Amino acid sequence: MRRVNADRQPGSNTARAPDVADAAGRQDLAGLVEHYRTAVPSDRAAAFKSLLAEFKSAGQAGRFDELVPALRAVLTPDLDYTSLQALHRLHKSLPPKETTGKALKLAVLGGFTTHQLKDFIETYLFAAGLSCEIYEADYGLFRQEILDPTSHLYEFKPDRVFMATNWRNLGYLPALSDDPQRVADLMDREYHDWATLWQVAHQRLDCQILQNNFDVPPWTSLGNYESRHPAALATYVAGLNRLFAERAPPYVTIHDVDRLAADIGRRAWGDQRFFLQAKLPCAPEYLVNYAYNVSSIMAAEHGRSRKCLVLDLDNTLWGGVIGDDGLGGIRVSQGDAEGEGFLAFQTYVKALKARGVILAVCSKNDEKIAREVFEKHPDMVLKLDDISLFMANWNDKASNLRAIALQLNIGIDSLVFVDDNPAERAIVRRLVPEVAVPEVTTDPVEFIEILERHQYFQVASLGAEDFKRSEYYRTNAMRATIESSAANIDDFLASLDMQAAIGPVTPQNLERATQLINKSNQFNLTTRRRSSAEVMALMNDPTWLTVTAQLSDRFGDNGLVSVVLAHSVGNSLEIDTWLMSCRVLKRGLEQSVLNHLCELAIKQGLSRLRGEYMPTSKNDLVREHYPNLGFISIGAEPDGRTSWELPLAERKPIKTFIKMAAET
Amino acid sequence: MSEQLDRLQDVFRDVFGDPSIVLSPSTTADAIDGWDSLAHINLIIAVEKRFGVKFATAEISRLKEEGANVGSLLQVLSGKLQPTK
Repeated sequence: MRRVNADRQPGSNTARAPDVADAAGRQDLAGLVEHYRTAVPSDRAAAFKSLLAEFKSAGQAGRFDELVPALRAVLTPDLDYTSLQALHRLHKSLPPKETTGKALKLAVLGGFTTHQLKDFIETYLFAAGLSCEIYEADYGLFRQEILDPTSHLYEFKPDRVFMATNWRNLGYLPALSDDPQRVADLMDREYHDWATLWQVAHQRLDCQILQNNFDVPPWTSLGNYESRHPAALATYVAGLNRLFAERAPPYVTIHDVDRLAADIGRRAWGDQRFFLQAKLPCAPEYLVNYAYNVSSIMAAEHGRSRKCLVLDLDNTLWGGVIGDDGLGGIRVSQGDAEGEGFLAFQTYVKALKARGVILAVCSKNDEKIAREVFEKHPDMVLKLDDISLFMANWNDKASNLRAIALQLNIGIDSLVFVDDNPAERAIVRRLVPEVAVPEVTTDPVEFIEILERHQYFQVASLGAEDFKRSEYYRTNAMRATIESSAANIDDFLASLDMQAAIGPVTPQNLERATQLINKSNQFNLTTRRRSSAEVMALMNDPTWLTVTAQLSDRFGDNGLVSVVLAHSVGNSLEIDTWLMSCRVLKRGLEQSVLNHLCELAIKQGLSRLRGEYMPTSKNDLVREHYPNLGFISIGAEPDGRTSWELPLAERKPIKTFIKMAAET
Repeated sequence: MSEQLDRLQDVFRDVFGDPSIVLSPSTTADAIDGWDSLAHINLIIAVEKRFGVKFATAEISRLKEEGANVGSLLQVLSGKLQPTK
């Protein structure tokens, strides 16, 4: 809660660096980052300069524990070109062991100069916790690289290929005088050529391909009539983009560059001077946005999207302070510009919720009074059942955010926190740096723009599951209520009337299975990520078994919640991947999946299962997974990895409370 | 002129990440470590932003030709800044 602007003096944050030196005279990097992020525009350049100087001296002094998180915190999408280059140099000067995270191998095949773009992508991926090895093909050679089996591309063996191309790389441009049939034929031929490139690269590499669509040029031949004439360049390019969106196979991710160009403004984006000078795809300063977008998509495909939006209430969801102003005094009504601004933000948030972003409230307020706004105010767009977790109390927000992550059973690093109060933002950034806290203004309409710019909830793919997610979290809260009232756990499980459908990965559930493979962190034994292309390859490989499980109960359908990938080697079935969504923990589903695996293995004449546990910072939950299921230990490595075996002779299925649906 | 040289020097230091760069009108690309055609683009963007000017395509080319130096850059710059002063 914030009293009217008392704690915020615009312009009070001056360029002079805050006094954050410790006893040894060293600057506190986190404090300097905060100072830079909250600087008013006229002070930003100076704040960046002093920050950069301190970053450099921290690097020289080897204070990487402090430097790496501070550097990540500064790598937001609103940097300018020259600053991002300076940060890229700093990033590249870190010793390799400081930048390791999950590594990916990325090939950038450019139809234009990709040098700066790939540098920026690398640095933004580092900010997202992904390190990458990059192969950059020579300018303009993307077709040859893919078609020639002896090219460097295939030597490099990437797991991601980024086709950095634009409309200048199109093969068949129509003439204005061409008739509609001729234009349609050209477009078909054009699509076919690109589809062939994807197919060849995919067949040879089993990799996911990120393909740019085409940014419509900022000029027209026909003025206002351009959009009505199929042979006009802008119309032709837009048509191709639609074709890409509709027809590209699952192993191709389309990067919507055209949308980015439109967001920025086509004329500013398409500054041709830099294409003529250096074959750059857009005005250089927008390479920052370009790279941020690309890396947010790749990060999303690696499960790095955030999951939950946590909202403050007073002056964030409505104008004013409910505790002081009362239901009639807060500004959140139709007919008042400020109130409608807050409603516009609520509408935006509600749409995020509809596609699977979990919503939570974290507010310093009396809970009863705060809830009343959702229950009783007639104009509120957000209702209580949109909010998966409502936390209004007088505790500090950092503790409340930790509690929210714990209760929702998601990582603290999957939270985004929006609060109009700069003091609360600063303290949350300091105490729980894992939570993303965008620097917002006091205008709710700008909240939307700022959240959009950061793409915290970037979507790699979208399935039916996503539309139901917030319902899962709400019904889970209902299940928790019953659990606490049931006399014992067996009674509780029996009362759920659970039914599971267990079967292989199919073309119908491939997207969802891949999404789980790339998102699950906690109940995940080996945390091996795979693109849909790679999963598809396993589906077609007779030595591999793929298993998925879907669970429903009397509260609703939980959807597809578990995936196992296993490989038969000799007379063992080796479990490469076993993961499960945490929303069905402790229901006995893993036991049912094990029973199924054993049946499959016996059918194939195998005599044992083998599994391994590879520890990460997030999967401690399943450290004892295999021994709990009756596996015996066959090895333990110093790095914490353990191996397990389950002989199949004389094994009896484990009893669970889950009924099997007819197998799919 | 010397005030603009100072501002330009600041831009060079940021772009090349080297706070020890000292410019004079006779400084050429060879004298500055890393001033290649790629860095030239980086420099042009940073100068445009800092001075609020826009270079023509031909000017960008001319400024990296043989014989061009910081003095030529200053000359083009002051041509652009003059009318508004």
